[in-house]
Amino acid sequence: MASVSGNMKGFYRQRKTTATKKSSKKSPTHATSLGSNAAQTPALVSHGGKPDLEDEYKESEVALRQFDLNAVYGPCLGMTRLARWERAQRLGLNPPPEIETLLKSGKVQTQPLWDGRI
Amino acid sequence: MLMLVLVLDSKSFTYVPNLFGRISKETNRSEGSVPAMGMERVQCGYASLDETFEIGKEMYQGQQYSQIYFARLHLMRTFLYSLVPHWKPNFPVCTVLQLEEGKECVIVGTLYKHMKLKPCILDEYSKQRSVVPLVKPHNFMHPDDHLVLEDESGRVKLGGSIILPSEYVTGIVVALLGKESGAGDFLVLDVLDAGLPPQIQFPLKSRQDKYVVLVSGLSVGSSSSNPLQFQLLIDHITGHLGDEKEQSIASQIVRVVFAGNLVEIPRRFLNGQNLASKDLSRMAEPVKELDILLSQIAAGLPLDIMPGPSDPANFSLPQQSLHRCLFPGSSAYNTFRSCTNPHCFELDSVRFLGTSGQNVDDLEKYSEAKDKLEFLERTLRWRHLAPTAPNTLGCYPYTDRDPFFIERCPHVYFAGNQDKFETRVIKGSEGQLVRLICVPKFSETGVAVMLNLRDLECHALSFGTQFSS
Repeated sequence: MASVSGNMKGFYRQRKTTATKKSSKKSPTHATSLGSNAAQTPALVSHGGKPDLEDEYKESEVALRQFDLNAVYGPCLGMTRLARWERAQRLGLNPPPEIETLLKSGKVQTQPLWDGRI
Repeated sequence: MLMLVLVLDSKSFTYVPNLFGRISKETNRSEGSVPAMGMERVQCGYASLDETFEIGKEMYQGQQYSQIYFARLHLMRTFLYSLVPHWKPNFPVCTVLQLEEGKECVIVGTLYKHMKLKPCILDEYSKQRSVVPLVKPHNFMHPDDHLVLEDESGRVKLGGSIILPSEYVTGIVVALLGKESGAGDFLVLDVLDAGLPPQIQFPLKSRQDKYVVLVSGLSVGSSSSNPLQFQLLIDHITGHLGDEKEQSIASQIVRVVFAGNLVEIPRRFLNGQNLASKDLSRMAEPVKELDILLSQIAAGLPLDIMPGPSDPANFSLPQQSLHRCLFPGSSAYNTFRSCTNPHCFELDSVRFLGTSGQNVDDLEKYSEAKDKLEFLERTLRWRHLAPTAPNTLGCYPYTDRDPFFIERCPHVYFAGNQDKFETRVIKGSEGQLVRLICVPKFSETGVAVMLNLRDLECHALSFGTQFSS
């Protein structure tokens, strides 16, 4: 072991390294699940700042999460939300069209709720 | 058993292969003793329908098998719902969770068979050593097996004697009429399978005899395969064997289909160890030998090869076509076609569908029937090629479709690598007629199957190299 300097604080870090990266950057090294695709967004994203955008984001995210959890459209894991919507459409399940417009708007999470966490 | 012995003839060949797309005329006969025309091989229109079994465009995104089960349930349930009003018009349809005690209704879902003897990975971790033996039996059935019906809302155990667990396996979608009993079981009163799919009518106009040869289990490279037997088969098909009458029969063969297990690579090369270069070249020998043999056929007539359990292709279904680079000699011919397993194609509007046998062999492990043809028949009546996939049969995790769902009824339905040659014609409720064929392992039986496209009559082509007393 190297000689310890007088500054123990440097050796034993007292502060957690918080995730400061914004949601816009998709980190390819977040490969917590086997075989996952390169583009992967962390499911829970911390975004500080701008409250009005944050609200809008959260509202649409809530709607999308409801879509994810709805068993009628099948399992949500392992597919992008848009692919799942399209599959539901193809199977004649009449998924709500608002979800499609939301997903195609590009400002929302493309991957489902638990992506990368299971 | 018909025996064919190589006859050396001093005449040169009059046989002239005439392939569509490639015309090569070789007349090497002087006029005189034999009628001037050489024999021409009969032609046949071919269309491949394997696109649904190709995985090239699929992308794995970490999905699990729940997706393919959802797609399967949905596809088949929608269809079964359309049949139910005609089948049981006076009963309501409900989901598993909506079942009420004593009320008769119809439920549709996926069957799951709970099998006591089926090896479970969790057995490794159980503290008490269970009675499950380490040696795998050939069949995992047990009198205590029971069926469960499952849909997205829930599952319910099935009771009663109408639906016998020994005839069903996990993965089939059925409609059941019954009622929930007090104990929480669903007492089954009647079962509805999807039934044979619709079939385009067999082209009935009188045509000439055209034969398709189905072979499987060549196992080139294994100790049980006899190279002379296969060579006899090749010589017979390409018309190098026999007199004019024999050759005229051979000239009516329009295609050869190899249904899997073309090679068998010696086990010692496959245990994951690093191989010396000497061993590497020896490992490739069966494929090289196969290539030489197949190119003899490809020079004469069109052929299709399908991968099987022992071939160098991917393990899970659908197996992708063996790569062209494995067959440098044969793939130079445009008659050579490497196909997927399962394989679906049409010859002169006669629809063929077949596998290298994995679906039938897996059914045999988890259910029972009076013969292998009955398993084949059941898969057609369930409208699913491989219902045990992905439960016990390796399968690609599709998300939005199930390619094993049979949409159109074939005219000929075959399974390769079976123990013996068996065949039967079955009828559907809408007048469908299907020729079922179990193609035997050629290396063990020396039997290939010859099918006449004109009337779907089928017979064995048997080759032996022993002189029987």
